[in-house]
Amino acid sequence: MKNFSKLTYPYVIWMTVMIIIPMLMIVLYAFTVQGNSVLTLQFTLGNFARFFADRIFPSVLWRSLKVAVITTVICIAIGYPAAFVMAKLKANSAAMMVLLITLPMWINMLVRTYAWRGILTRFSLPPEIAVYIGMVYNFLPFMILQIYTALSKIDPSLLIAAHDLGANDRETFLRVTLPLSLSGVVSGITLVFLPAVSSFFIPKLLGGGSYILIGNLIEEYFVSTGDWNFGAAISLIMAIIILISMYITRKLDRETKEDD
Amino acid sequence: MYSKKMFKAAIAASMLVLAGCSGGSANVDEEDVIDAQETFGCNAINIYNAGEYISEEAVPDFKAMYNATVKYDTFESNEMLYTKLMGGNSYDVLVPSDYMIEQLMEEGYLQEIDMDAITNLPNLDPQVVEMWKAFDPEQKYAIPYFWGSVGLVYNKNNVDPEKIESLGWDILKDPEYKGRIFFYDSQRDAFMIAFKALGYSMNTDDPDEITEAYEWLKEMNDTMDPAYVTDEVIDAMINSEKDIAIMYSGDAAYVLSENEEMGWVEPHQGTNLWIDAMVIPANATCTGLANEFINYIISEDVQYANSEFVGYTSVDTSVVEELYGPDGAFYENPAYMPRKGYDKDEVFHYNPELKKQLSNLWTTVKVNN
Repeated sequence: MKNFSKLTYPYVIWMTVMIIIPMLMIVLYAFTVQGNSVLTLQFTLGNFARFFADRIFPSVLWRSLKVAVITTVICIAIGYPAAFVMAKLKANSAAMMVLLITLPMWINMLVRTYAWRGILTRFSLPPEIAVYIGMVYNFLPFMILQIYTALSKIDPSLLIAAHDLGANDRETFLRVTLPLSLSGVVSGITLVFLPAVSSFFIPKLLGGGSYILIGNLIEEYFVSTGDWNFGAAISLIMAIIILISMYITRKLDRETKEDD
Repeated sequence: MYSKKMFKAAIAASMLVLAGCSGGSANVDEEDVIDAQETFGCNAINIYNAGEYISEEAVPDFKAMYNATVKYDTFESNEMLYTKLMGGNSYDVLVPSDYMIEQLMEEGYLQEIDMDAITNLPNLDPQVVEMWKAFDPEQKYAIPYFWGSVGLVYNKNNVDPEKIESLGWDILKDPEYKGRIFFYDSQRDAFMIAFKALGYSMNTDDPDEITEAYEWLKEMNDTMDPAYVTDEVIDAMINSEKDIAIMYSGDAAYVLSENEEMGWVEPHQGTNLWIDAMVIPANATCTGLANEFINYIISEDVQYANSEFVGYTSVDTSVVEELYGPDGAFYENPAYMPRKGYDKDEVFHYNPELKKQLSNLWTTVKVNN
């Protein structure tokens, strides 16, 4: 077995070059001033001070979190019943439903969002609504599939036992099915909330450029303004928020597993 | 710019199939081929040009004529080009705008063009020469590519031409058109419009004038509900999605040729005249072929094909006359003939501090809603 560990080397190299080094560079940029050469680094906390001193940057951050939370809630509200119905279907029909849900994912997300743009421009919707439609559309499949997997793993004999012991349908759902499916909901939240909070092309394409989220702000500072240091600081702030939300969902996940 | 071009591209592709497997381009005779490796000691160049800014045949023909390899990349904005260069990418020919060339020259990123190699330099429009000299006084670092202005494309059925002529940029704040405006998403053009609407120079760095322009844009943003767009505005206006759009003259010429409902106006408060030009970065790896490429692009036939294909105004007066004339693709198309010699029109100058400040303000305008 020991020799097999060498097989991880390509991955370790890949990780170092593609993830760790760029991350370190983001950190370096975030804490330095513009126009550095490698020899004369000038460290500062000014980029972060600037972010929090101005009313508008925290408000964009707040808006991004709000959009991500609402998107996640809508995905659960639509996704849970859909997954519930699917789990009750016969194996063949359920497989067909899974196929139908995954089918759109075979097409690139960007292309599908462009298609939505064509549809949504015909109705002059407020940009906010258009962004929510795009977000929920893109992320809903992840939620449904996660919950469906959790639901279909529930042993049917548990439900029969619950009925035998006098529980009605509602009680069976609330006390057996729901608690056992929560782990699916939690991993669904991870798969929806995290990409939603950092998404930038959905608001860009569907919000008519006037609905700016934190991802758009980062793009703006790197590409248009050319202020990489401030852009890096915003990225780092976002990375920290993502780490915190991952920590929370992990904890939730563990708690639901312990309840099992 | 897509529908017509896609069609043309499809035709070109099918022609290629029809032409069979001769290997070279149909437009190039084999005996005319100059071997780049033999002549210049290298045969590969990297070109970095704006998107949708060249005819389909130009690069393939060049490759065949010089037996060369051409890597052709496109950018969305001058700022993106600058970011790429700062990231260490190396190119042989770039096509930035006036103010960006000024900046690149100042920072020492460019090398002189070998003017002996540029034998095809055409009869340039005096306006073009004047703008060229404004950023490259000795005419050594750049060769003009396209030029134009910024103006308003409007739907003649829904907007009174006399009204838009008399209001100019101020129509962007007329409540009658709330929610029916495409605003170009670039700090440079946004502040240019605000400065001009207020009667200031677009190169001003007076703090009070900047604040006033900022307030102008903020009010526009808060009351008019504009959609901020870049290149997607071209298709959108061809489909008459909204009534008024800020556009570059070349894109407008294309829209007007595709959709008869559309009109063009260069506001009376003045606008931005700009020129894009070809330059060679100091770290180019195949300078000889780069000069040859520039000379090829500036030749009359290639200019004609490029200008006809993308709608931007050629720097060659005879090409412009032909395309604007009765047999041309842009016969009496007002957007193909940008305004000349109007004293309120200006060219941008490079001012890094100002740019940074306006960039931040523009983000603030858009975010605050």
